Amino acid sequence: MEPALLLASLVLYLVGTLAGGANVARPGEGTRQATAIALALGFVVQAAAIGVRSIPLGTLVIATFADQVALFTCLVAGVYLLVQSRYRLAVLGALVGPIGFVGALVALVDHGGARDLPPELRSPWLPVHVTLAFLGNAAFAFACLVSLIYLWQERKLKAHSVDFRMRGLPSLETLDQANFRCLTWGFVLLTLSILSGVLWAELSFGRLWAWEPRTIWSTIVWMIYAVLVHGRITVGWGGRRAAALTIVGFGVLFVSFIGVNALAPGRHAESFG
Amino acid sequence: MSGAPARNVRALRPEGPRDREHELWLVGVSHHTTPVEIRERLAIPEEDLASAARGLLADAPSVVEALVLSTCNRVEILAVARRGGDAGDAIVRFLARERAVAPATLAVHRYQRRGKDALHHLFRVASSLDSMMVGEPQILGQLKEQYRIAAEAGTAGRLLRRCLERSFRVAKRVRTETGIAGKAVSVSSAAVDLAKRIFDDLRDKTAMVIGAGKMSELAARHLQSHGIASVIVTNRSFDRAVELARAFGGTPVPFERFPQYLHLADVVLGSVTSTGYILGASQLHDVLRARRRRPMFFIDLGMPRNFDPGINDIENVYLYNIDDLSRVADEHRAERGREAVRAEEIVDEETERFWRAMSGQDLTPTIVALRGKLDGIRRVELERALAALRRLEPDERRALEAMTSAIVNKILHVPLSVLKEIAQGEDGEAAAEIASIVHRLFALDSASAADVTDEAPPAASTPRAEAGDDGEG
Repeated sequence: MEPALLLASLVLYLVGTLAGGANVARPGEGTRQATAIALALGFVVQAAAIGVRSIPLGTLVIATFADQVALFTCLVAGVYLLVQSRYRLAVLGALVGPIGFVGALVALVDHGGARDLPPELRSPWLPVHVTLAFLGNAAFAFACLVSLIYLWQERKLKAHSVDFRMRGLPSLETLDQANFRCLTWGFVLLTLSILSGVLWAELSFGRLWAWEPRTIWSTIVWMIYAVLVHGRITVGWGGRRAAALTIVGFGVLFVSFIGVNALAPGRHAESFG
Repeated sequence: MSGAPARNVRALRPEGPRDREHELWLVGVSHHTTPVEIRERLAIPEEDLASAARGLLADAPSVVEALVLSTCNRVEILAVARRGGDAGDAIVRFLARERAVAPATLAVHRYQRRGKDALHHLFRVASSLDSMMVGEPQILGQLKEQYRIAAEAGTAGRLLRRCLERSFRVAKRVRTETGIAGKAVSVSSAAVDLAKRIFDDLRDKTAMVIGAGKMSELAARHLQSHGIASVIVTNRSFDRAVELARAFGGTPVPFERFPQYLHLADVVLGSVTSTGYILGASQLHDVLRARRRRPMFFIDLGMPRNFDPGINDIENVYLYNIDDLSRVADEHRAERGREAVRAEEIVDEETERFWRAMSGQDLTPTIVALRGKLDGIRRVELERALAALRRLEPDERRALEAMTSAIVNKILHVPLSVLKEIAQGEDGEAAAEIASIVHRLFALDSASAADVTDEAPPAASTPRAEAGDDGEG
């Protein structure tokens, strides 16, 4: 059951990638819709696969790196659907498709027995904490993608060279607004995720804060985004500066996500053994 | 059977493989061939279109359907006429008399297309490939509207309906698959296009027009027609600024104080004559601070230039001078040209496909009908036999079934491969001829109860090739 679902989502993400690529090459309503539909179906099917995998455990499967990647990419696809419905950015489909594809591929290659979590982590807090964190990360991922498109188009406009590939793209102002929304959502979700982690730690382990790599890095990432969101709201940062900082922020987030999981000790990593 | 009823039967069904009797004609004048002085005399007001088409039908007995298309760039008559006569001449004579133009004059300027060429022309017109501004969207709306008038007046019948509906689909395909309609080609529309790349919605934006030049006025009007809500006008002569502001429904400000208002403007058009730059980078920093660094789009139409080119390097400031704008317009024009080539290919392809379907060169319906006919006979006879041989074992029944199928297939094998071979060939006349013979030999159009099978519709139904692409519309 689960491999079949994963395979189906893999194919759907591939279709979405191709349709999104076709849309970049030649913007059009047909390919835009095809991209959105394929990725929506991919999301639903992959979510079903994660559900099927989670049921026997009684909690969300996130014990292995593969499971985490799968959950994260699945949420990215979910957030894409929200962003797409608002901003009609077919280009994002061309970027989200491969992300979903990789996630589904990793899950498919490594879909052996779902590993259970260590007893002390088996808690209803876990899915809440992890989902909030991942959703926040997904929102930051979109802020980053939107910013990349912004920078590309901004450079073209500054250089007075107008490119046919811009035809399907939203205006700079729209991209900037999308960046702000994604950042705000990401920041709220990240904050809630940290708070839920703190509460969980306090209630289950009797201490608010553990100094371990993941919490330290999360704090750094949180501070970067706090500065960025604050700058946007009060100083009126926008445009290129905000876009560049958004990309830097996500770079740090990405490296810490991979790096901490792969290398560092601590409760957030110990489940990988 | 006398001739008249037979013709009536065909009139009911002018399309299909056996319509050897009607033909599509197109006669017209357009901006390509005819100066405006003649076009305007030929132009027919919308309220007279229906009566003109009716007049043509009454006047030219060979013409059975007619549609008049009249816009400021073209007057065209699309007609279905009985084969054999020169309907083109009849149409020219009618048009000359109706619009009081010397027939000789009209004969010099008019173009005339027949059959497939007429269809091709219609598709090109609908797709805006024949327009003065290739890709402009109005022509399709006009064609739709004037077709509606002809349909309501009863002068456009089934054949024109098929052609027109197909032309609308072709136009839609051209529009969605190519970029011919997408790009601005004039300098002021390039400015609007760029403004839309920078700003999300022009309706809450303000433009400032510095100087009362012709170009900046034109560009400002263009911006206004694309939504820019408020306009600030300034000029060395304040009187002129007031005058212009009144024309725009905008606000005049004194020239010496325009920098104070600059932070309100999202789009700034400059076209004053001045020895130095009227705006430098250092001034602009304060302006940007005052507007919380929201983007600004400067359009420099002045000669010599009005704005310091350095401001383009400031974040969120975009400066385009007249050369930049015309380069953008050129790029768009070049792109539109490339897209037009693709659009022509689409039109050619669609014409070919529709023409095959219409003229019967597409033998698929004939093949389907023939196969269905024979298979229907087989099944009826088989059932009859099986009813008589009730004691047969299931595998014996299957053997009978297989044997009868094999007989039908063997009989059909050579004829079908010949039909397919002809369908592949170039000779449409021959294909239509063969189709008509096959239909007669096997009575493919009769629908007696014994012949009806569930899988083979009679040949008069829509050809398959056509039904296949209906989905795209």
